[in-house]
Amino acid sequence: MSNKLNTKDLINIGIFTAIYFAVFYVTGMIGYIPICEVLVPLLLPLVTGIPFMLFLTKIDKFGMVTIMGIIVSLILFATGHSWLVMAVGIPCAVIADLILKSGEYKSWRKIIVGFCIFSEWIMGAMLPMWIMRDAYFDRIRAGYGDEYTDTLMSLMSGWMIAVMALMVVVGGIAGAYIGRSTLKRHFERAGIA
Amino acid sequence: MKEQPSQSLPANAYLNLDPRTKLFLLLIISTIMISGEIRGMALYARLVLAAIPFVLLILGRRAKAAAIYAILFAAAWLAEAFLIYNTKGIANIVIVMLSGLISRFVPCVIMGYYTISTTRVSEFLAAMERMRFPRNITIPIAVMFRFFPTIAEESHSIDNAMKMRGIGARSFVGNPAVALEYRLVPLLMSVVKIGDELSASALTRGLGGPEKRTNVCKIGFGAWDATFASLAVSAAVFYFVSLGG
Repeated sequence: MSNKLNTKDLINIGIFTAIYFAVFYVTGMIGYIPICEVLVPLLLPLVTGIPFMLFLTKIDKFGMVTIMGIIVSLILFATGHSWLVMAVGIPCAVIADLILKSGEYKSWRKIIVGFCIFSEWIMGAMLPMWIMRDAYFDRIRAGYGDEYTDTLMSLMSGWMIAVMALMVVVGGIAGAYIGRSTLKRHFERAGIA
Repeated sequence: MKEQPSQSLPANAYLNLDPRTKLFLLLIISTIMISGEIRGMALYARLVLAAIPFVLLILGRRAKAAAIYAILFAAAWLAEAFLIYNTKGIANIVIVMLSGLISRFVPCVIMGYYTISTTRVSEFLAAMERMRFPRNITIPIAVMFRFFPTIAEESHSIDNAMKMRGIGARSFVGNPAVALEYRLVPLLMSVVKIGDELSASALTRGLGGPEKRTNVCKIGFGAWDATFASLAVSAAVFYFVSLGG
């Protein structure tokens, strides 16, 4: 078995990235309900657990998770997020891939850790709220009016960054377990996983 | 939007831009529209950028999509201009949310729809190859775009099937985890199967071959590409200058 990605692997990456992205996009919409914005880091890994676990069963080479991460952050960047999403997303994907690879994509513990780290890319999309805080909220204030901005600003104080990163981990662990049980219950029986 | 967009192209489109131009326009439009500055002169730059997908849709003979887009955008724009600063409380939040969402994201979504629905997969691959993108990135992206319509279609069928058995949104109110399972599991099953078939078909057509691929698609920049690109660039420059000044 060669270690180079073949065309079938590349097509698999495409399929699962499409599903991952579609699921993420639907979840992300919840973020536009004012208060629910804080829930996205928790929901994202929770919901994407099922497709990601199925994706892992198709992987035996290094690189597939990395490419998925690169594409997800590329698309987010192309659709108006700051460059931070790439600066956070791509390293996260590489580290996750390395961890997963060290368990040959089968070790359950490493899958949980890897999935949590992979999901942390969402922090890259949220970081501007802190790093470019003034510019970010000025822009929101101009566009969305005072009430919305004040609600959001009071919610997004400094320590929220840690809470959110932690929410990704909690969501990731739960998502991984949901994903695994779904995999066992449905996909293995159907012979897909 | 039911047709297989990436497969078929209306032969009678008045104009087809180079895929690279479309991606470039998409990048500029989404960067500026989503950043959502509406003070002062920057407003006009945004209007010009919002008009680009509209013109492209008309030139691509997608008048219906163009009309829906125009109505949505105009409504949101008016709401932003007049209602936001005159309302308070819940009404304010709702208006802000809806109009902000539409005026920021719909132009990008429409531009994305235009890009995907008027670019053949092999055109896209040819363009990416010219830009020297590695295959490991371009093939997954091409597959992804090919799959978005499939996912939408399959998801719609699953929705129908559930309705037929009397499982509607109401059954999920107390049980969101079940909703996730009922929707995602069949979707994944069918999409993975379709993907396997796609792999087989792509391989027999030589996608995995070691040779450099040739391509029958003629891509290249023309006068229209220059027109739209320079229009977008000047709007973007104007936007940033007017913010700085």
